[in-house]
Amino acid sequence: MNPTLLIGLDGATFTILEPLIENGTMPFLRDFINDGVRANLLSTANPLTPPAWTSVMTGRTPGNHGIIDFIWAEERKTDHYFTLYNFRDIKSETIWSIVSRQNGRVCSLNFPMMSPPPAVSGFIIPGLVSWKHLRRNVHPAGLYEKLKELPGFNARELAWDFDLEKKAERGIPREEYEHWVDFHIRRERLWFEITRYLLKHESLDLMAILFDGPDKILHMGYRYLDPQVFPELPTNWDLKIRDLCLKYFSELDGFLAEIVEMAGPDARIYMVSDHGFGPSWQVFRVNTWLHSKGYLTWKDLGDLDDKGRENAQKVIDRHFVMLDWGNTTAYARTTTSNGIYIRVAKEPGQKGVPAEDYQAFRNRLTAELLEVRDPETNERIIKQIMTKEEAYPGSNNSQAPDLTLVMRDHSFVSILNKTPIIYRRPEVDGTHYPQGIFLAKGPGVQKGRTIPQLSIFDVAPCVLYSLGLDIPEDFDGQMPFQVFEESYLQEHPCEIGEPTVPVDSCSHDTGKVEVDEEENKKIFNQLKALGYVE
Amino acid sequence: MKDTYKIAKEEILFTLIDILKDMTSDWDLDYSGGIGVETRLVTDLGFESIDIVQFVVAIEERFKRRRLPFEELLMNDGRYVDDVNVMDTVDFLYRHLNNH
Repeated sequence: MNPTLLIGLDGATFTILEPLIENGTMPFLRDFINDGVRANLLSTANPLTPPAWTSVMTGRTPGNHGIIDFIWAEERKTDHYFTLYNFRDIKSETIWSIVSRQNGRVCSLNFPMMSPPPAVSGFIIPGLVSWKHLRRNVHPAGLYEKLKELPGFNARELAWDFDLEKKAERGIPREEYEHWVDFHIRRERLWFEITRYLLKHESLDLMAILFDGPDKILHMGYRYLDPQVFPELPTNWDLKIRDLCLKYFSELDGFLAEIVEMAGPDARIYMVSDHGFGPSWQVFRVNTWLHSKGYLTWKDLGDLDDKGRENAQKVIDRHFVMLDWGNTTAYARTTTSNGIYIRVAKEPGQKGVPAEDYQAFRNRLTAELLEVRDPETNERIIKQIMTKEEAYPGSNNSQAPDLTLVMRDHSFVSILNKTPIIYRRPEVDGTHYPQGIFLAKGPGVQKGRTIPQLSIFDVAPCVLYSLGLDIPEDFDGQMPFQVFEESYLQEHPCEIGEPTVPVDSCSHDTGKVEVDEEENKKIFNQLKALGYVE
Repeated sequence: MKDTYKIAKEEILFTLIDILKDMTSDWDLDYSGGIGVETRLVTDLGFESIDIVQFVVAIEERFKRRRLPFEELLMNDGRYVDDVNVMDTVDFLYRHLNNH
């Protein structure tokens, strides 16, 4: 296979990268773009990390691969039962598996939804996993011990820190900005060291590494990096934070340069992002609005005892809502899905919207939402509303919201019980925009060309073609021919091949229970003492 | 029939203890009681919600079953319980793993 390097830059956008190139912060990226192809990359309907990266990895839409959000949740009596999406929820084959079963060796570093890791030929270190569970979730067994010997290895900083992420969701306190940026520089260095180690010691056909720092830095520091929103008269503080952010991107540029150099001149290199970034200035408290229109009733926490209230607070702290299900017909479940769920009565007599009224109910709700206006300017605040079929076409969309909102500033909705319904942020914040980046360079790739926008579903076919493999006929993405030189395409015709193979939801190496005799005896005695055995 | 019952519970217990030992082996826990039937996930092993999620995944992977109704174990009357011990989990799994 032709060696291929896929570099993920979470949340990277030309809006930010171009000024960084112009001011000299990212000289390597400047040269890379000049020597290759660039395009905008249109993200998934809801431009969010789990569905978007899974589309990169599968070439399928979220409605087909089944990853809709970070959190998988279902309503129960008075609460949600929730868990996190993971690899077992991906209903489509990944490129790691496609390459592996055709005798290629792959390496996937820091990609979300890759836990528990599938048993591919090569290496998988998943993203979105806490340090407490990282060792058990790397493939193959034994890799973790090797990683621990790398200089400076620190699992707590390498892995996903859920406490830190929770904090980031609420907004990093200003006094912690410096720590936040430094932490992400150290974290990228750790991923870089692992990449370097594996590139040096292993023969790989497809190496893929995801740097998720751009997303973290832009959520915190977008207003310091976008020249359009940076203050005309910056304070010393503004300048200091801007310098910190520039330091992050400068370091990242250095890591990219070394990785690309190590991949060698024969490798084709792709850099892609899962979504773009842009300014957000408003918050729409969608559940408060639904309540005001009579669609949603908050649970009366006054009815609960102390324990119940404590429990409810935990739920709210986890960013869920406490609702009176019997008197709620529509609600937003998570901030990140930007979606509204309609509660349909599953059988006659049950609370909820009667199945036969669903369409009319959804149309009415859509029309009302589109009329929500900014009280200051009277402008509509929602620019588009997609139905489940429009936003999540496919056979695995059962968890998808009935309506997906696209706000005029692409902001995420708030689901909390707070007023006012429309809130103007005191400062511009960064949020996910639909246009990410696509960059390519290497043998057969055009030089210095900007091509029309690609879709995020096109990345997987492009990577497989690059490796010299057929493109599965059931991919949703298309082969982006414009990336390559005409002569290369003629010498290496693109072939559409067999469909992907069904995924095995329990493909993880599950191990075997081994208990020594002494242990066995001790446990048996415990069981006996408790009356479970005689 | 009684023997089958005993063996199944033991197997489940051994598996759970194995999972928990593996999971917590590098957590620097203060807890020194060893893992047994009365070990509580939150109080003794310091589990947080994300650890429960991983525990559920590890169990389902080991027993090769998906979408076991863990809400029956983790929620009571529609609300999340404060803690769960190993034996509660054994009983829950015993009920559902034998209920094909």
